[in-house]
Amino acid sequence: MDSIPVLTIEDVANIDNVLQDYLQRAEADLIVVIDKGGNLIAQVGDLEVMDVTVIAALAAGSFAATKELARRIGEVEFNALYHQGNGSHIFMNSVDEDTIMITVFGSQTTVGLVRFYSASTASNLASLLAKMRTSSAPGFQFDLNDLSSNEGGFTERH
Amino acid sequence: MSIINYASKEIQFKIVYYGPALCGKTTNLAYIHSRIDPGHRGDLVSLATAADRTLFFDFLPLNAVVIKGFKTKFQLYTVPGQVIYNATRQLVLRSVDGIVFVADSQWEKMEENAESFRNMEENLAKQNIALDDIPYVIQYNKRDLPNIAPVHYLQFLLNNRKKRVPDFEVISTTGQNVFAALNAVSQLLLHKFSKDSNAQRSAAPASL
Repeated sequence: MDSIPVLTIEDVANIDNVLQDYLQRAEADLIVVIDKGGNLIAQVGDLEVMDVTVIAALAAGSFAATKELARRIGEVEFNALYHQGNGSHIFMNSVDEDTIMITVFGSQTTVGLVRFYSASTASNLASLLAKMRTSSAPGFQFDLNDLSSNEGGFTERH
Repeated sequence: MSIINYASKEIQFKIVYYGPALCGKTTNLAYIHSRIDPGHRGDLVSLATAADRTLFFDFLPLNAVVIKGFKTKFQLYTVPGQVIYNATRQLVLRSVDGIVFVADSQWEKMEENAESFRNMEENLAKQNIALDDIPYVIQYNKRDLPNIAPVHYLQFLLNNRKKRVPDFEVISTTGQNVFAALNAVSQLLLHKFSKDSNAQRSAAPASL
């Protein structure tokens, strides 16, 4: 059985430090780290403006779709993707085999700057994540008795 | 695969609606979206063609129960049902925690139902997941149509494994049993999560 991935408070603080530093240097608006299944791992920046969960799901899809494109030209996958808008842009790069970093930025910075700082950030993140995967994370134990009988369900409005 | 975040106190789960083309997967999500308290859900995102066929996936994030102070977040996805989009189905199934298989009850769709079920099993196997290890339920959809197969026939076709899974007679356009199926799969999923987390705990004692 694969272990259930657990992010401890310390893990999140370490990741946040790396991301905050990158956010400031690259002058980006928002940075989101996700796994390739679209699950959110970390996020820093302007979180009010966008629904980060949706961004994570769509970015994972976009990354996977272009993987097939990459294969057609003899690549395994594209390490980085850039979506250019009129005022806001998205840059995505691969952190490791399972992880993607998404950077949302505006006209206050440039794609060159974002790309430059994203490379070192990704490699710092990759080593943090590798460490997390090998360390013995605290288990999360929960019993179904923790849920009262009427919980665990979604309520339909009539 | 669920992710537990101790800093934001959140647990994320992924539920995928799987089934043949035009069986009502997107209609399920649209109904859930329309009938759940807006405070407990995000936007429904549909990546569809002009003819309203799912091209990539539909996505709906939901907030559910709180377990020991941890908010559980369910992410609902649909796969594109059309046969040619198998690569996309594999992508959407990535790190799945629970499945709702939506079958079309009409007689003429039996072959497509069986094929889609087989395809789901194959795509799970590519991720080294055995169907018996994943919490799933089956919906027999479109029970309001005239040319439908009886439930026992559908059971024979799709729910004939050693372990029978919960099944529901559904009319996704009116919402009949849509929430029942969703709640059943989330219960199964939480049950498995609880079992796994306890097994993990006894294997490696926690430091917290």
